[in-house]
Amino acid sequence: MDLSLDAATRKRLETIRALGASQIRPLGLEADRLGRPTPPDHAFFEGLVKAGQGRTRWTGEAPEPSGRAPAQGVGSSRTALCLAEEMAYWDRGVAVSFPGPGLGEPPLISMGTEDQKRRFLGPFIEPDRPRWGSFAMTEPGAGSDVAGIRASARKDGDSWVLNGAKSFAANASRADWIVVWATVDPSLGREGHRAFVVEKGMPGLVDFQVERKMGLKAYESTSFSLVDCRVPAENLIGGEAHYAQRAGFKGAMRSFNATRPLVAVMAVGIGRAALDASLDFAREHDLLEDRRVRDRLERVRRKILSARLLCWQAAWLADHGRPNILEASISKAMAPAAALEAAILGMEILGEVGGRGDHLVEKLFRDVKAMDIVEGTGQVQRLVMARQLVQLPRD
Amino acid sequence: MIDFELGDELELVRQTARGFADDHLRPRMREHESARALSAESCAAYAEIGFATLEWPEDGVGDELGALARCLVLEELAAADPGAALALDPLGPALYPLAEFGGREAVERFASPLIGGDPGRAVLVWNGPGTRRPLARNRDTLSGVVPWVPADRADLLVVLDDAGAVVLERGMAFEPLRGAGLRSAGASELTLQDAPVAAEWQDAEAARRALARARLYAAGLLLGVMRESADYSRLYALDRVAFGKPIAHHQALAFLIADMAIALESARVLTREAAWRLDAGLESQQACATAFLEAAEAALFVTPNGVQILGGHGFMQDHPVEKYMREGRALGLLFGGVDGAREDAEAGLRDAGDEGLLALGAA
Repeated sequence: MDLSLDAATRKRLETIRALGASQIRPLGLEADRLGRPTPPDHAFFEGLVKAGQGRTRWTGEAPEPSGRAPAQGVGSSRTALCLAEEMAYWDRGVAVSFPGPGLGEPPLISMGTEDQKRRFLGPFIEPDRPRWGSFAMTEPGAGSDVAGIRASARKDGDSWVLNGAKSFAANASRADWIVVWATVDPSLGREGHRAFVVEKGMPGLVDFQVERKMGLKAYESTSFSLVDCRVPAENLIGGEAHYAQRAGFKGAMRSFNATRPLVAVMAVGIGRAALDASLDFAREHDLLEDRRVRDRLERVRRKILSARLLCWQAAWLADHGRPNILEASISKAMAPAAALEAAILGMEILGEVGGRGDHLVEKLFRDVKAMDIVEGTGQVQRLVMARQLVQLPRD
Repeated sequence: MIDFELGDELELVRQTARGFADDHLRPRMREHESARALSAESCAAYAEIGFATLEWPEDGVGDELGALARCLVLEELAAADPGAALALDPLGPALYPLAEFGGREAVERFASPLIGGDPGRAVLVWNGPGTRRPLARNRDTLSGVVPWVPADRADLLVVLDDAGAVVLERGMAFEPLRGAGLRSAGASELTLQDAPVAAEWQDAEAARRALARARLYAAGLLLGVMRESADYSRLYALDRVAFGKPIAHHQALAFLIADMAIALESARVLTREAAWRLDAGLESQQACATAFLEAAEAALFVTPNGVQILGGHGFMQDHPVEKYMREGRALGLLFGGVDGAREDAEAGLRDAGDEGLLALGAA
């Protein structure tokens, strides 16, 4: 048992801390004030790429044989969690806007052919400029119920023809490519799902609309349409053989189990930011003499710490290749609620100052709500847990 | 680097405790509760394992396995019967003031005689902030009434407050009570009439450390109690059919069962963290208070819902869930209770540095 952080991780946290205070948080506040995502040609992104950010974790080498050793050090989920929490502490919206292959990377790495990795992740090994990848599963009529997606894929000669609508895809309008999930037959449910890489400028990839949001304004959540969008067969991730093994949906779910604690820990970061900002305010206004205030701050601190440890535990299991469905869902169910409580309390401590709409805590109060919705709502987490705990039937 | 692995040694400790609880405690929990004591056979079997000296210093006296080992044992025993866990541990949390104030010498003088063929029993009484009837000191004696201790006798009484501790060996009168919970350990009103002080220490820092460890001890017991309540009611909900399906498959109960698991796991990770901090020699008073607070609150969510899931059956004493509800409540009253713990868990709110309250990588 050890809950300390290694020196390499602490060093990387220091870097984020410096960047966070000087650039990430100011940029997040600016985007919130202006009510628009940070534009792709912003000098901030250029600077990040020059500093070595925005890269893929794919090394360009063949995968290790299975039976892998536990992931350690900078490649481990635990380190990824620490870095993600610190980024979200400074600004979760800006963190999502960072250049890089984004959520499209895990399916490419886990399911993609070597050729696909080379074509789509290769440019991210040493990017010449800020580049983004994107990921589109959610549709106007299918969010948590992933199996219910309706975007269609029809084989036509050497290509696929995609039709449908996708919602809330991060960085989609600025991305070099988007990993789009579609179905060959809705009646097949998850087994009908296929993932395609749809590249920027492909005919039929149209109607990009950057959505207006309550919070997290620094990155774009974009809806778009696929109208007879023709995608070459070699852009079907993994190739047809992959889906013949009926592993299509399991591919998506596997990435979810690894990412739930990662998204949950971002809520921890937001909650911690709210806690620190409200504590500063309470100190400046002599509110800590009030036991009622202290008691509630203590409770929030405790819940946030507990949430962080739950995330770490789920990631530690993932790093050792052990089942973590229950632990991952516990972390994802618990952390956003704790973080929201931190922001709600923060607003209360601010009093009328919170009502002005120009304080960091007020922004965090709006930002944090998304965390209980993305990557499986709190309700979906409880369904997943109930399947584990009491074999809750799926229908 | 972050690692939740217990390791072979601690896994063995846990398995051994679980085996003992399954063999000796769970089948006889009601028997022990009404007898207010355990059978001599169970006590002997437990003494045989050697858990009494789990945390004591190595070199001949103990095994020095630390707070985490103790927490694992307590969780396993309390999952069957937390009162029995107290009755079986001759020193219990009374060890901590002896070790923190008096060190090895005090442990050998006062604790060692209680270990062995006929195990004795030490009781820890908190006499600091939060206690309802403080004991009065008069020269070399202590007098007053402790409204409830989970014991029917004591060979050694350790009275801890926020500045120091005293040890008593005589002058204690136990008047049996029914007790709200933990009855397997006994339940008494304790009267001290000019009880002579056998030893005493003054050291506020040591007092803080002793109290922290006592709270972690209670947190370990609380984990076991709520784990068993959650498990028992979960299995019942899979078995019991209402409105055409197992009640666990009605979403209202399925989600409640999920929330109970979340509460248990939240308390468990905080308890593990506090134990790790103690064993690693890091500042741990706040962590122990936090763990106790979370465990007590979680237990008061989980154990009443354990009863609720069984409905009318839960209210009857044919099932153990009503017992776990009472035990969960009683444990949260120990060592100054949750409000006392809140004060210590709040430490650091005032003097958090520039890096904030829960900065990553801060010791």
